[in-house]
Amino acid sequence: MAGVVVTGRFPRRRLIQTVAANLVRLVFGSAARNWGRNIGSTAPALGSMTLLLLMSGLVGLTGFALHNLEVVQAREASLLHVYLRDDAADPDVVALWNRLSSDPRIARVTYVSKADALARAHTIPGLPELANASESNPFPASLDVQVKSLNDMGAIDAVVRNESVVDPLNPTSYDRGAYERIQAVLFGIAIAGLAFVGLLGFVAVTVTMNSIKAAILSRRDEITIMQLVGAPRWMVRGPFVVEGAITGTLAGLVAGGVTFGLAMSGIAAGSQSFTQFAPGVTTTVAAIAAAIVIGTGLGLGSGSSLLSVRRHMES
Amino acid sequence: MRPHVAERPPIVELIGVSRAYGQRHAVDGIELALHPGELTLLVGPSGAGKTTLLKLINREIRPTAGEVWVAGIAAHRLKASHVADLRRRVGVVFQDYKLLPRLNAIENVAFGLQVGDLRISDAEARDRSLDALEAVGLGDRGGAFPDQLSGGQQQRVAIARAVVAQPPLLIADEPTGNLDQETAWEIMDLFEDIAASGTAVLVATHNVEIVTRLKRRVVTLVDGRLVRDQPAGQTGRMAWLASS
Repeated sequence: MAGVVVTGRFPRRRLIQTVAANLVRLVFGSAARNWGRNIGSTAPALGSMTLLLLMSGLVGLTGFALHNLEVVQAREASLLHVYLRDDAADPDVVALWNRLSSDPRIARVTYVSKADALARAHTIPGLPELANASESNPFPASLDVQVKSLNDMGAIDAVVRNESVVDPLNPTSYDRGAYERIQAVLFGIAIAGLAFVGLLGFVAVTVTMNSIKAAILSRRDEITIMQLVGAPRWMVRGPFVVEGAITGTLAGLVAGGVTFGLAMSGIAAGSQSFTQFAPGVTTTVAAIAAAIVIGTGLGLGSGSSLLSVRRHMES
Repeated sequence: MRPHVAERPPIVELIGVSRAYGQRHAVDGIELALHPGELTLLVGPSGAGKTTLLKLINREIRPTAGEVWVAGIAAHRLKASHVADLRRRVGVVFQDYKLLPRLNAIENVAFGLQVGDLRISDAEARDRSLDALEAVGLGDRGGAFPDQLSGGQQQRVAIARAVVAQPPLLIADEPTGNLDQETAWEIMDLFEDIAASGTAVLVATHNVEIVTRLKRRVVTLVDGRLVRDQPAGQTGRMAWLASS
């Protein structure tokens, strides 16, 4: 079979620059121009995606804080505070300390004096008011027992609560099932958060796909001409994917900025309380969360556009 | 000595080509070869399968049976991802011109050139587009937008866009359908010039006067079947008119 494509008569100089310039103009430039032209039909996609990304950022930060909170709770749950009587004799306390330290189920025993307990209470929200309301120090001295396995907590509590040096009214901090209840609550919150974000994600992807579909229909002639003159498939689809990416990136920038701003406001407004309720959320973590939100926006916008293009554009 | 067109290997070859839509055959068992430098007129009544045949050649659709070879490419088994390779070898002209209204004549032609080949610079695209527009007699209207041009001039721009990349094959679907007779002849003259330069040209038309006076090869389709393949230089009966 015959047939050759006759190449151009002009010398091919600066090939890379020419290809890059054409690529930028025909794919990125065209996408940016059309995005601006179609802002009316893109606005719903931009809005819903911004909302989705903002909620995702906040849910993500909350999830991170809850995860850290769970770690703290797990550590706390395996820490048994054995409260000592105010009149307990030092030798008896030392004897109990020695016995507990030699128990293989126990990792570490630390003595906390009344003064240490008062100082610690000042770092916990709500407790400083309680301390100030009393003329004397209301917090007892204690032995803080770090248990190796949560399963041994009950047995060790049973051993120490009847000791003579231990406060008979409030012997230990042991609360059967407390940790499991916290875990259940956190799990429920996580499921609800994921379901909410999933629903928003579905809405955002659907709206974006529809806005790209509208863009495809409005430029049907241009697409047909491009296809008929031999434009490669990626070049026909490219501008639409870039349009989606622009929408996603803008939504991500707004949502990431708001996420970062809210986290920073929280950190600045009440650093101590915030640290208690959202442990681990620092400036760095907030910045990373914002970057992830922006990246997700880029991926979501271009991904949903690609889906729409594949569905609605003929080869 | 330049060989006669039929002695050169064909640029398009259809071997037992059929295309069915459900139970109905739009084209059925077509055998056809087009050679470089040959202007062929594709005629037949409405619904005879002319547009289907052009779409098969341009790989807008695939045959349900048979083989379609275009410039050495097996269009019948070409994957969608490789269709662009074939399209770069085929210039296409439509009845409704299909020009982009926001681009002027030069930009419309250059657009067709550059989206097909990113290696072509703006300067080169502009020069080649101007050359193509001059070849179709519109060298002085390069800056005009489609709505500032007559139908004949718009069709000339469309032809310039179709040939600017110098494809070995040009197909045209009712290119004179929207034009008066005088303008239609001007467009057909252009197609003759293009064929004379070595390009195979296939024109689907309803224009009886053109078909009878031009004395070019005429391929007649009726009900999807190729019923007559009349060589150039002969005047045949326009039997298909009875059913058009």
